Amino acid sequence: MVDASPPADISPEFSQSALDALDDVHRFAWSLARNAADADDLVQETFLRAFRSWRTFLPGSDIRRWLFTICRNAYLRSREREQRYTTLENDEGETMPAVEQRAAWLREGVDVALLRLDLKPAVERALDALQEPFRSAVILVDLEDHSYDDASAILGVPVGTVRSRLFRGRRILQEHLMAFARDAGLPGARHD
Amino acid sequence: MIDDHSSSPTAGTLSCADAIATLWDYLDGELSPEREAAMRAHLAACGPCLHHHEFERAFLDAVATARTSDPAPPALRSRVIEMLRAQGLLP
Repeated sequence: MVDASPPADISPEFSQSALDALDDVHRFAWSLARNAADADDLVQETFLRAFRSWRTFLPGSDIRRWLFTICRNAYLRSREREQRYTTLENDEGETMPAVEQRAAWLREGVDVALLRLDLKPAVERALDALQEPFRSAVILVDLEDHSYDDASAILGVPVGTVRSRLFRGRRILQEHLMAFARDAGLPGARHD
Repeated sequence: MIDDHSSSPTAGTLSCADAIATLWDYLDGELSPEREAAMRAHLAACGPCLHHHEFERAFLDAVATARTSDPAPPALRSRVIEMLRAQGLLP
């Protein structure tokens, strides 16, 4: 347990800029947790940890990125039992099967689902089901519009690992969406 | 295997295999300016690769529908501030 610093010891600029980022942290927390109650808990946990360790923030650096790192770490700690992904990190050689799968979808005609169907409910379900570490990479890049470099800094992993997690996560989402398109009876989509 | 459609002089210097392998980097704006220009030239000349590109762009647009732009609930902001005050971390 870290002792709370007295209020006067915390830079007012830090307090203000951290609280200014609360909407961003909440949006990120909601994307990770996928429900309001857990997202609220995550936001509170993030700000508590951030204010307790405010001296570790480098003035002039991106406070939003720093808070996202704290938020993501808090999220992982809350779901430690789901951290079963270390053996899935290296996906060398995955590119070709991914390309072949996409080519198969294009031949099937199932790709038109992406243009014709309202996919938002399916995307949300697929994100709910997506596990770490892929989930954080997809959320940071695809929902929060971070660059691979930013995501690398937030996640504390090399850019190549971000790319690998992102690509794997997207493939998993695509499989969910294509299954949804088939279940929706989209013309041209065949059941195997 | 990926069919190579780049035998046409207009397909540019990038092979189909290279173009497909870096499609997501291209869509994410992560390629160098030179590589991005080569990709644009390739896609302008190669229909099959353009089809892959359109698929992935549509997919990323679909994923983006899950974005939320809602601000944090005012009650949450109040709870955070109250909590920090209770911990002696805000005046």
